[in-house]
Amino acid sequence: MSDAVHLDGITKRFPGVVANDDVTLRVERGSVHALLGENGAGKTTLMNVLYGLYEPTEGRVVVDETERSFDSPRDAIDAGVGMIHQHFMLVDPMTVAENITLGNEPRKWGGLAIDRERAREEVAELSDRYGFDVEPDARIEAVSVGVQQRVEILKALYRGADVLILDEPTAVLTPQEVKDLFEVLEELTDAGKTVIFITHKLGEALTAADEVTVLRDGRNVGTVETAETTRERLAELMVGREVLLETTKTPSEPGETVLAVDGVTVRDDRDVRVVSDVTFGVREGEVFGIAGVDGNGQAELIEAITGLRRPDSGRVRFEGADVTDRSRRERIDEGMAYIPEDRQERGLVMSFDLVENGLLGSQHAPSFASGGRIDWGRAREHAESVIEAYDVRPPNPDTDSAALSGGNQQKFIVGREFEREPSLLVATHPTRGVDIGSTEFIHDRLLELRDAGEGVLLVSSKLEEVRSLSDRLAVIHDGELMGVVDPEEVTEEELGLLMAGERPERDLASLRVTEESS
Amino acid sequence: MTLQDRAATLLARLVDASATERFAISFAALLLSIAVGTVIVLVSGRVTECTTAAFVLTHPTPFGVPRLFAVGFCYDPVAVYDRLFLGALGDPLKQGWSPLSPFSGGPLNPMREGWSPLNRQVAVTLRETTVLIFTGLSVAVAFRAGVFNIGTQGQLVVGGLASALAVLWAVPVAPAGVAGTLVLVPLALLVGALFGGAYGAIPGMLKAYAEANEVITTIMLNFVATGVVGYLVLNHFKDPNSAATQTRSLPGYADFPTLLFDPRNAFSLVALFVGVVVVAGIAYLLTQTSFGYDLRTSGLQPEAAEYGGVDAKRTVVSSFALSGALGGIAGALYVVMILGKYQTGVPSYGFDGITVSILAGNNPLGVGFAALLFGVLKSGTVVVDFATDVPPQLVGVLRGLIILFVAMPEFFRMVGRRAEAVQRRMGETAGRVAADGGDSDE
Repeated sequence: MSDAVHLDGITKRFPGVVANDDVTLRVERGSVHALLGENGAGKTTLMNVLYGLYEPTEGRVVVDETERSFDSPRDAIDAGVGMIHQHFMLVDPMTVAENITLGNEPRKWGGLAIDRERAREEVAELSDRYGFDVEPDARIEAVSVGVQQRVEILKALYRGADVLILDEPTAVLTPQEVKDLFEVLEELTDAGKTVIFITHKLGEALTAADEVTVLRDGRNVGTVETAETTRERLAELMVGREVLLETTKTPSEPGETVLAVDGVTVRDDRDVRVVSDVTFGVREGEVFGIAGVDGNGQAELIEAITGLRRPDSGRVRFEGADVTDRSRRERIDEGMAYIPEDRQERGLVMSFDLVENGLLGSQHAPSFASGGRIDWGRAREHAESVIEAYDVRPPNPDTDSAALSGGNQQKFIVGREFEREPSLLVATHPTRGVDIGSTEFIHDRLLELRDAGEGVLLVSSKLEEVRSLSDRLAVIHDGELMGVVDPEEVTEEELGLLMAGERPERDLASLRVTEESS
Repeated sequence: MTLQDRAATLLARLVDASATERFAISFAALLLSIAVGTVIVLVSGRVTECTTAAFVLTHPTPFGVPRLFAVGFCYDPVAVYDRLFLGALGDPLKQGWSPLSPFSGGPLNPMREGWSPLNRQVAVTLRETTVLIFTGLSVAVAFRAGVFNIGTQGQLVVGGLASALAVLWAVPVAPAGVAGTLVLVPLALLVGALFGGAYGAIPGMLKAYAEANEVITTIMLNFVATGVVGYLVLNHFKDPNSAATQTRSLPGYADFPTLLFDPRNAFSLVALFVGVVVVAGIAYLLTQTSFGYDLRTSGLQPEAAEYGGVDAKRTVVSSFALSGALGGIAGALYVVMILGKYQTGVPSYGFDGITVSILAGNNPLGVGFAALLFGVLKSGTVVVDFATDVPPQLVGVLRGLIILFVAMPEFFRMVGRRAEAVQRRMGETAGRVAADGGDSDE
């Protein structure tokens, strides 16, 4: 069998960073090849080299046994390489057929007009050939994300792609759509096409690919056949050491109540009531988890606690004092740290470097500013210490935070918030979009803070995460707390029922952890 | 697709350009605008009729070759640009000196004999520069805080009248002479800043507490300011001895001390010095203080600012007040440095401030240079008017071209940054769904 793609010793340097270091990759024709690695391992960079978006600093690109030099994606497309990006490049109000043929429309009247009829037929024929089940006349805005992705794939095929690169293709899909996508990939390889897909999820690489190449720190650390490997082996290759896929923790020793939420009701921006009469307390030395399907009021509840949104009614008490009417800044000053849900919108100013970002929230604190003047020297030392202690890469405080990978951005925020030495840490989705290694690291830090006797309020939509970290677990549904349960006792089915807003058969009281009245 | 990619790469390169590169780009843009302007001057010189050509294009006639063509042009582009730039500086260069033969007519000295940097035209240039520094800073501060202050003109008008009235009120109680200058000029600036600031705070409060769009309110408040101030001057504070709509004149010692320059030029080095100090002060404020950090964070990412404990409403009001105060000082300068009284029909310094700020990429240090370029162009225009037959409208076109060309790269940088931010958001959204997509890895 011949190689459809052969990347030979590719090195790609950016100012100050080596994104790919002498990477060699061979992809057999008609196979599915997974490119696996943590965030920032250089997967997307490597594929951008193949797609003509970047020129390699060193190395050869061989497609179809011919050495190529792509100046732009147009060249790559001409050579039969197509790429489907993470975010789709489709025109929403136009139809499927129009989107697929866009830029390459069949013409009539001597090229003066677009032959819509033929475009429709060609798209329908193409869709049938691969069993895609796509309606050519549907508008993009009216079809599901999964269908949109298939339209993107068809677009590449329409342009004559033999090699398809998919960047994190499952990121935007529901589990059912993921299954459908993998079937589509099979159809494609059966028809002789070659598929390379980028992922950081082990399971997907094992399920869908024939071969997996693992990248770490920009280097190829191994190519293996999926039939001959295991999850543990792949995880080890990715992270470079053995990974504990489970967290272990000691029993908690709860103390005084540090945060008391009392009958809080919150309205969202459209003035709809999204949190109704929620009451709970977080004690020193415990992790209090809130589980629930996204969009059930968690975001607004947390905003009310951290001072970003005023509750409609109810009180929030922090360390015994009523802080309902205090500003966000006062709450920060009093020792409430907060890892926000949205790190690129809230947690970091993207065009600030890490020195400036390390100051976010402390810009008026006496430790960094006196008489309204910022001590940039101290701010720099602070950023450097966070970078070192929390292993942020690249370890350069002058990097703009936009240049960091998602995991490293998150590690920096986590570090910054821990360095406040908070008495309460509010963490929302702290490991969302973060790779395995960083997830493990962040989990360990959260438990450390708990063991140091501080309170942690954890919100996550990952069941595994809240269950393994929390000492007490509340389930929120439609803005109401369904109950507080012991995460060790409750079964997954019972949690699922609670999250769906139904009461399990077992009496919840038996699961409830004894709670002092706050 | 390719065109789009190429445009995206270009934008990305612009966004990442270093300070030196940006300066080089600006300079190249300036030369390019002159090249385009030259063509326009030639073409319009061809389509106009005149009795004597300003310059004639022909070919050399060696060995008695008969002349085949000789094309006359009504306007000479070299003369126009020479007047526009060198004229604005009062002709510093020796006649016939060229960079190609720097030593012609004397060792190492291309300067014209008898030329002094203190001449009248330099005074005009620097006078315009000084006022534009303040209006430019006014707009830049607002921009950096993420709000658009189109109302600098109105704040300037309010600050101008307030400072004139304050000085007229204080004259009877203040000492005369140098001591009077020391009291009255700072008073004028302070009152101008206070009133301009208060007037600027109005759209700030409207935005913060009533969610009124600041672009609309500031534009409308410009009309309000001009109208009300015009009414007040005409009906309450008018100089009875003058036909013009103006206040009584301030005493001479209430003017800015002109220092070195001829007092008739209405330019004061002290005022320019104050301007430079304020430029440095605003730069310091933005980069070195907690308030500046709050302001920049709000401008770049309001959500992150809120998360970092910045009170969004208060920041909007205070940055508008600061912006208005700078506009108000410009008004005070117009009164105590240029006119010596308040008169209706104030030139559009406030609107020019918007251009100056964009030209400077909203950077306070850049505002200094952009204001100087603007000052040169404004003062040079007058010289071109005197020295050539080129109509002032055409000179306006050339001026506009220069500004457009120099501002475009900065404009595209802004576009590029915005595009990057949008892309990032799209990427992040995808990534977020990723972790929630019910995967089996966690």
